Amino acid sequence: MTTYTISKLARAFGLSRSTLLYYDRIGLLPPSGRTPSGYRYYTNDDYKRLDRICNFRQAGLTLEDIRAAFESDAEPSVKVLEHRLREINQRIQDLRSKQRLLSGMMKAGSSACCPPSVDKDMWVEMLRAAGMDDDAMHRWHAEFERRSPQAHHDFLVSLGIPTREVSQIRKWAAGFQSKNLPPSPPN
Amino acid sequence: MQKQMNVEQWVELFKEVGLDDAQMMKWHRLFEAKYPEAHQNFLEWLRLPVEEVEKIRLKSR
Repeated sequence: MTTYTISKLARAFGLSRSTLLYYDRIGLLPPSGRTPSGYRYYTNDDYKRLDRICNFRQAGLTLEDIRAAFESDAEPSVKVLEHRLREINQRIQDLRSKQRLLSGMMKAGSSACCPPSVDKDMWVEMLRAAGMDDDAMHRWHAEFERRSPQAHHDFLVSLGIPTREVSQIRKWAAGFQSKNLPPSPPN
Repeated sequence: MQKQMNVEQWVELFKEVGLDDAQMMKWHRLFEAKYPEAHQNFLEWLRLPVEEVEKIRLKSR
């Protein structure tokens, strides 16, 4: 029969020794016994019980809730719920690791992760229909360039505008003075 | 230097050039009616959370 010292069992679950001492004190996880010299030892059953405790803890149950769940152990419904809980915990962990992976990729990759699949004509058409006139569009380029040049660049490129034209628009936008009558941007 | 735009900055930019809330709503409606997929991509590009994208698109229909 495998037995565990308190430190070994704690380590297996990434817990501290004092947590297990506390679980013993409140009667949630008393060790199966003591060695002749008085040290606590835990068995495989204790290991399984601690695994369930951790599962419940992860789901946000209080120690009091967990004790209540153990007391109603005879009810099969608890088993079913516990199984479901385990699955959910697993899925949360999977999603978290995906989330970490994706945000890592986004940080490492270029700024425009998924550029809008609209081209220049569609864009102009919609803005015009919404009531943006030429003057407002010119000021929009100028403001965009002033506030976030890189995002302006990425955005124009994502509309399928050739690089040469993008630099022309940006150069024009950078020199635009909002108070003066704007010259037309290059087409 | 700002590398990416978020939705607040985008809205601010539109307001700066004189678009009001009603015009922006009209723009969303057009976007949704004509190019629903591009609308989705655009909102995602502004780094809006999925639920928020869904909400805006529903409102635009």
